[in-house]
Amino acid sequence: MTALRRHRALDATWSSRPGFRGWFSTVNHSDLGRMFLATSFFFFLVGGILAMLIRAQLATADSAFAGPEIYSQIFTMHGTIMMFLFAIPTFEGLAIYLLPKMLGTRDLAFPRLTAYGYWCYAFGGTMLLVSLLLGIAPDGGWFMYPPLTGAIYSPGINTDFWLIGITFVEISAICAAVEFTVSILKYRAPGMSLDKMPIFAWYALVTSLMILTGFPPLILGSILLEVERAFGLPFFQADLGGDSLLWQHLFWLFGHPEVYIIFLPAAGVISTILPVMARTTLLGYGWIVASAVALAFLSFGLWVHHMFTTGIPHMGLAFFSAASTLVAVPTGVQVFAWIGTLWKGRPELHLPMLHLLGFLFTFVIGGLTGVMVAVVPFDWQAHDTAFITAHLHYVLFGGFVFPILAGIYYWLPLFTGRTRFFKLGEMAFVLIFLGFHGTFLAMHWVGLMGQRRRIDTYDVETGWSTINLISSVSSFIMAIGLAMVLVDIILHVYVALRGRRDPWKSGTLEWAMMAPPPAYNFASLPRVTSRAPLPDISGLANRLARGEGYLGNRPAVRRETLAVDISSGQPDYLVVYPGNTALPIVFAAVTGLFFLSLLIKFYWLTPLAVLGMMVLALVWVWRLGAREDSGLQEIGHGDRVPMAGETSRSPGWWGSAFLLVANGTFFGSLLFGYAFLWTVAPGWPPSQWLEPSVAETIAVTGGALVAVGAMRIAARHNRRGGRGLSSTVIALMGTLAVAAAIATMLHRMPSAGSHAYAATLFVLGSYVLFHAILCALMQANLFARIVAGYTSPHRRAEFAIVALWADYLAVIAAIGVAAAQIPGMLA
Amino acid sequence: MRDLLRILAPLVLWLASFSAIYGLHGLGCAQGWAQITLGPLTLFRSMMIAAWLFALLAQFALLWGTRTWPFGPQGGFAGRTGMLTGWAAVVATLWTLQPVMTTTSCA
Repeated sequence: MTALRRHRALDATWSSRPGFRGWFSTVNHSDLGRMFLATSFFFFLVGGILAMLIRAQLATADSAFAGPEIYSQIFTMHGTIMMFLFAIPTFEGLAIYLLPKMLGTRDLAFPRLTAYGYWCYAFGGTMLLVSLLLGIAPDGGWFMYPPLTGAIYSPGINTDFWLIGITFVEISAICAAVEFTVSILKYRAPGMSLDKMPIFAWYALVTSLMILTGFPPLILGSILLEVERAFGLPFFQADLGGDSLLWQHLFWLFGHPEVYIIFLPAAGVISTILPVMARTTLLGYGWIVASAVALAFLSFGLWVHHMFTTGIPHMGLAFFSAASTLVAVPTGVQVFAWIGTLWKGRPELHLPMLHLLGFLFTFVIGGLTGVMVAVVPFDWQAHDTAFITAHLHYVLFGGFVFPILAGIYYWLPLFTGRTRFFKLGEMAFVLIFLGFHGTFLAMHWVGLMGQRRRIDTYDVETGWSTINLISSVSSFIMAIGLAMVLVDIILHVYVALRGRRDPWKSGTLEWAMMAPPPAYNFASLPRVTSRAPLPDISGLANRLARGEGYLGNRPAVRRETLAVDISSGQPDYLVVYPGNTALPIVFAAVTGLFFLSLLIKFYWLTPLAVLGMMVLALVWVWRLGAREDSGLQEIGHGDRVPMAGETSRSPGWWGSAFLLVANGTFFGSLLFGYAFLWTVAPGWPPSQWLEPSVAETIAVTGGALVAVGAMRIAARHNRRGGRGLSSTVIALMGTLAVAAAIATMLHRMPSAGSHAYAATLFVLGSYVLFHAILCALMQANLFARIVAGYTSPHRRAEFAIVALWADYLAVIAAIGVAAAQIPGMLA
Repeated sequence: MRDLLRILAPLVLWLASFSAIYGLHGLGCAQGWAQITLGPLTLFRSMMIAAWLFALLAQFALLWGTRTWPFGPQGGFAGRTGMLTGWAAVVATLWTLQPVMTTTSCA
């Protein structure tokens, strides 16, 4: 088959539907990556306009531009949009678009999940935008501290928009994190062992693991605060055993890693582009990987440095102060590796390089002021002043926006297949750089003079007027620069001339394809032998297009790719992807209905939405799998591998495993909250404990153990030629016993609104009950799949997945019942 | 997956020990251990130092353990990177938890 015929055949199988209908049913990563990026930059535009409004307000003393109510909405939405609707989704969009191409594969692990994540983001973001347009946007600051945001001091719907909208958007981040983790570990070109992965993939992997463990505390906090506001369960009310400091812990357990979740992908962009611009290879690949991992973990030990002024004892403060200073070390290792890369190469000053230099200059200053605020006595002086606002913008704009602009200009020829013609970008860079430093350098100064952050106005006697005016004028210069970038990109997309492949002479695989890339990326998959396959294998792109790589021998009738062994990168199994479908957007719409019903308090709609999600989830999984064994498949180069469904560690198993990491973090955060309230909050012990029940304890632990054991026996029966039906039913009975016992416990516990103890217990019990119901549904679905012929001794993947969830249920049920029953026994 | 664990395990252990010792600090202050004398030290200080030393011991044990079972022989990319993260975790344990020796207890 010629390369052109192969292209046409693959294109027919992989392309999304033509016209605008294709947007709603596409599951292709290139389409969804572009949609993510377009949407996130739309939100960047909105957040930027809000920033201009803030600067207009503060440009002069005694400003009457906006009243305090509107101003509070403006700064809250600016922070919220930039953090949740721009920065994280931009990483998601870039990684969704680039990762499969860089890793030498055809798509991400779960294409429908990518689409579902996008629509959750789009709908959740729209929800927040609507609140802004209606003038009822969140107004409690982007970190939403109670008691200000509790029902007493913020009775309107504004705060609910934030809590519910952000939780909705966070589904998207969790989906993307699971997707990236599994894709990076399992979906790579054959031969691409861990040490041959492109450095961006390492950064994306570390960031994804951080999202899986960083976001759940905030999701938990948002749920608890919304439940308190809507139903009066007192998690943060001091008079009923709650503590508003619990919110600060949960928020910053997310919030500080969030800074690195934003920075690390940008660092991945830098580590990818910088060596290309310097015409050399990256210095210290292994050191950079180790530094990124160290940075990720250390960032989880810094959260209390946002709480230095809350009265925490000195020893506690010193732990976090020490950790906050230490985090500068792995950051410094990366910065020195980049400087060393420049030193050993021959740097060329193309436009991406200008932005990288802008990053280096800006981020180093932000890092140094970060060390300043890590020191407790200084932080006590600077806390909640404009100095902090300036510092965080140096870190986030310097550490994210400059690298992302470098990335946009670097990959633009890949996105469009065109070569840059107009030179607006260089002028835009100068304006952005000067405007940024004019805005935020001045803000450091006025902060040290005592200007608090978030104030809507100030007196002329303060002496802050000139500095604020300089800051505001500079911010408008920066905005003009950013607008010029937008114009430059639009002109490029529509007007610029066709360019050649790999204009930068890069070594990574995303350039080994047509530009713009076809829907299937590679006509056949490369065999990778180094970190820079392009220069190492002559004519690689053409050879792949001719079908000389892996899967080049396969008929192009299904969407197929290879999964590999995590460490060695040797082919492991063959994956068949689902095709275009509207299921993700419908599922996201019904999920949105669930959140909307909570927001506008149409509680009658909530169970209907839950039912809808259940039905759609069953449809989602039912469409997967096969009713016949396929056996080993020829994949080219003399290799044969099984189908994914005919292994024990299928993509679904890996996806479940990493989703359970996030889930376990959520559960751990809940236990932390329980322990925190118990030891620190005033108003404890409660007047009434849950009466301990031996019968409930035995039913929960016994039922969970039966479910775990029976699922293992079912899997063994299946492998030995049986069907495992009876064992699956026994496992289901065990799970139902857990659900019944937990429901009984919930029924007889003290009123959840009476005290934080009862409220926490209620959430703990509900969490276990939810998982018991989920596990029962999975087991019932497995039973139906066995009966329908979707399993066999070879097709065994589904048993392993359900067993994994049963194991998780057993762990949380045992811990949950102990946490509920033991206090009553001790009392 | 073992290669990945080899790289991540030392810092997972640091995070677990850091969080646990911060939790112990909260518990000790709430229970009034700083008012109970135990020889030249208070019960609070003794517990915190013991926990710190245990965390350090665990880090060194892991550093030694990752050279053998179950991670396989030393060398290769994962081995070298694991060694870097292992020493990073030792330094992190030493530095971030040294306040158990140097600062006031619950004030």
